[in-house]
Parts: sequence; structure tokens; C-alpha cells
Amino acid sequence: MHSSHLLWVQTLAVAQRLLLEQWRQKRGLIFWAVFPSAMMLLFGLVYAHNASMRAGLDAAAAGILVGAALFFSCLGGTVAVIAAERERGTLPRLLTTPLHPAAYFLGVVIAQMLLALMQVVMLYSIALLIGAKYQGSLLLGGLILLLSVFSYVGMGFFLGARFARRSEEVVVALSAIGVPLLVLGGTFFPLEIMPQGMQAVAQINPMLHMNQAFKGVAAYGMGFHELRFELSFLVVFCCVSLALGIQSYGHLLGRDKSQ
Amino acid sequence: MTAALQIDSVHKWFGSHHVLDGFSLRVDRGEVVGLLGPNGCGKSTVLNIVCKLLPYDSGQAHLMGEPLSELGYRARGLVGLCTQHCALYTDLLPAENLNFFARLYGLSEKERKQRVAELMSSFELQRFASTQVGQLSGGWQQRLHLAVSLIHRPKLLVLDEPTSAVDLEARMGLWSIIEGLRDSGTSILLTTHHLAEAERLCSRVALMHSGKVVAEGSIPELLFCLPGKAVAKVQSQDNEAVIQRAAGLGWRVRQSADQISLLLPQVLSLREIVDALDGTEVRSVSVQPVTLEDAYFEFVDAPDGLIKIVNKRINQ
Repeated sequence: MHSSHLLWVQTLAVAQRLLLEQWRQKRGLIFWAVFPSAMMLLFGLVYAHNASMRAGLDAAAAGILVGAALFFSCLGGTVAVIAAERERGTLPRLLTTPLHPAAYFLGVVIAQMLLALMQVVMLYSIALLIGAKYQGSLLLGGLILLLSVFSYVGMGFFLGARFARRSEEVVVALSAIGVPLLVLGGTFFPLEIMPQGMQAVAQINPMLHMNQAFKGVAAYGMGFHELRFELSFLVVFCCVSLALGIQSYGHLLGRDKSQ
Repeated sequence: MTAALQIDSVHKWFGSHHVLDGFSLRVDRGEVVGLLGPNGCGKSTVLNIVCKLLPYDSGQAHLMGEPLSELGYRARGLVGLCTQHCALYTDLLPAENLNFFARLYGLSEKERKQRVAELMSSFELQRFASTQVGQLSGGWQQRLHLAVSLIHRPKLLVLDEPTSAVDLEARMGLWSIIEGLRDSGTSILLTTHHLAEAERLCSRVALMHSGKVVAEGSIPELLFCLPGKAVAKVQSQDNEAVIQRAAGLGWRVRQSADQISLLLPQVLSLREIVDALDGTEVRSVSVQPVTLEDAYFEFVDAPDGLIKIVNKRINQ
């Protein structure tokens, strides 16, 4: 079999396996669906109750999607995939096959992208039902989501390969690191209501720029030119995340080989 | 015909630790070779090198006649590995696991379907076709694990203590499967701590100690090289006295729990043994032929001088 064809076959095999596993883990799937849906409904109720805040609903939908749903499913999901491979001992097993490291990496990316797409459809269906609107370009919104998914998967590989040894650790680490990042990223509250000091700290949080980019398109109908700073930041962050992820994955393969 | 695996004077260091010290081994095609030795003697390192999970520092290794160092990813298609720990996807069905690994090896859809059906049938896994792997017993998981390692029809099958984590019944089942593979001409390198397993399955055995092979041959050859033809198992009120007397007679002694094993230079009757140990308060004596266990303890603990003699005799 030609090497590029084999790479593609392996990539699809990994992606399909991950999706099948996700489908079989019914409880995980329920939480995966309930978390963003519940968040969206709760925020919807809050905004509906306060007429003056009604305009914020569009931004809330965007923030919950990029800041919370994709964070937990793509970043958390990738870390969990690596921790599970380690726990089951399947990682060394994979190393004895001709599986190309790039095929594994791409397989995880594709699986996470499909899961993210399902979350987008699910969350925006609810958001539109409760009165939120998507204001801007679908193409630009899609690009931002794609960059966000790549960034999260890259970070997921980095954290999973370097730190996560067991599934329990993934949950604890995501809660301890993730939730403060979400708050500081303007996922739940607008940046403007934070104290000056917090706002300064928030500027170095990549999630803030992800949120602002997607909110800019989805809630305020901004275009490429108006969002050039956020987009540039997102592209750089995506490249750094992927580089860190690939490097860490290589490190993980080397270490598991020597055990 | 070239050997399935030929390793010559391979050295491997982990930092300052010399793990493999001129290790050499040959596995001919269609042969089952057992690699036996105590924990930490370097067996796993050998297997990792054969499976291309580790590089070696010096020496030569050939897989199906080709230098292992030059085979790259292709080596992974030639070797199948089955370890004691079941490394499978527990949320998937048996056939889904087989299918997944078949795709990693690049089998075409037609080949894949055919091979998966073949393995599901020959490993008697059809009855669990709709059971997730995590719900199978340890023995059936290990059976599937072995099937997965054969999905790509490897030229060399590496079995790393394949039955150590399963119960007796499952072990017997796995032994039958491995015997079937052996009889169909599969080349197998097997490590195990169950000497009965090696006796049943292996056509040749290599005994390993401190990173090198200290004795190698078929089991009858190894037994022939022992400095004894039978073993007397002795129980006594005074073990020390028995040990001293046996040593005085030039018999090799091994003590385990409350029993002493004496390697007899020639076959003696019970009366002759009791007479030779006169005055040592012997409670019971039994005599049995030497086994692989005796060869294991003799050669793995043997001084270098004895090893040279053994290897010379085997070569003759």
C-alpha cells in the first residue's frame, strides 16, 4: 500500500475508533451533551429575565461554545484519550504497529473536529430557539472555530503527554486550571466588569482572544479587518499549541518506547 | 534458508547499566525458541529490540535475513507482539479491535474481512462477537490479544509471558493455540517463567543471565549437558548435615523451603542414596529424572567455566 494512502487509512482508523469509543461510553456522552446545553439554557433564562441584558445573549452563546464546550470536549477529550491509552497499555501496543505518529495525531484532530461540529450544531440549535442570533460571516466563524479546535487539541496533546498519567488526574487538572482560565477568558462575564488588574492578567490568556474573536463575528457581526489582532493572536497560538503538542507527543512515544 | 531472527553479540546500555552483554540468539523459520531467565536479566530488552521499540548499541541483528537497523517501519509488519498485559480497546467488540489493528497494518478491505473472520473462527471468538472486550474474562481477552498480534500474518511472533496472567484452563487453551501456530510453521520467540510451558511448546531453549545467553539448545541437549543424570529430593531433620555430606561427595546441591535437591552424577537407587547420606537423619528420599528446572538452576547460576563446557558440548 502506498505510504500516503496508508497514512490516510490509519488516520481514519484512529478517528473512527475514537468516535466509536465515545459513542459506546454513554455516560460520558450524556455529560458531553448536557453540560453546554444546560449552560446555554441557564444563561438564556438569566438574560430573558433581565431585559437590559438581552443583547448579551448572542455573546453568551458564542462564549459558551468556544470558551466552555469546545474547551472541555476538545482539550479535555484529547488529554483523556492519551491518559486512557496509557492506562490500558495500548500506547506501547500501537508503537509495535506501523502506525505513523502523524496519522495518530490527525486521527485525534479529525475525531475532535467532528465532535466539535456536533456541539456547534447542538448548542446553536438551543441558542437560536431561545432567541439568540448569529450575526456575522459563517465562513469567518468557521475559521475561528477550526483554529480553536486545533489549538485545544494541540494543548491537549501537550498536557496529556507531559502530565496526565491517569483519567482521574484529567478531571482534577481540567477543573483546577480550566475553570479559572474560562472565567479570565470572558466566557461567563464580559471583561469590562472585571477589576483593572484582572483585565490586565486576562490579556495574556489565549482563551480571551478566542472568545473575543468568535464573539466579535457571532454576536457583533465584525469582519476580518476588525478582528485582525484577535485572529493573528489565534493563528500564533494555534501554531504554538500544535508545535508543543507534536513535540510532546514525540517525547511521549520516545519515553514509552524505552519502558 | 536464512533464520527468522539472528542476533549476534548485541550490546545495550542504559546509562552505565550494561543490560545486554554480547547477547546472541537464533530463531529458525518454523521454530519455537524459549528465552528463559530471572527478572532483570534483559529478556524484555531483547524483545523490545526485536520489535523495534529500542535500538541496540552494538552488534548485529537480522530479521528474515535483513538487518534490523535498516528495516525501519517495515520491521513492524514482520513481527507480531503479544505481551502478558492485554492492550486492547475495552469499549470495542472483538472484531472491531481486530479490524482496527488490521487497518493500521494496511490490509485491504477484502483481506481485512477475510482475516478477521478467519481469526474470529480459529480462536473461537464468534460466541463473544457482540460482547465488548472489557466484559470478557481475562483468558478470553488474552486469546483476542494473541489474535490481534497475528492479524497481519507476521513472520515472527514474539510472545512475552503470554499466559502469566490467566488461569489454568485459559492457559491450556492458549497453549493449544500456540501449538497449532507452531505446527503450522510460525516462527515464535517466547519468554516465560513457566518452565512447563517452555517444555511443552519450545523446540529450543536459551537460558539467559546478566544480559547474555549462558546455555542454549533443545531440552534433551541441555539435560545431557547437566553434571548429573537424576535428582534426589531429600527431606531431613538436619539439612546442613545433608548439604555438607552431598558436597563432600561432589554432588550439586539446591535448597528450597524444607527440601534439598541433589544432582546425582549417575542414576542411583534409593538404598544407595540413603547409604551415601548415612548419619544425616534423612526422613524421605525420592529420585526423579532431571528436568528443565534443574538445567535452569544449574546454568543460570553456573560459574563461567561450566558455561564454556556446556556450550562446547552443545556445539559438538
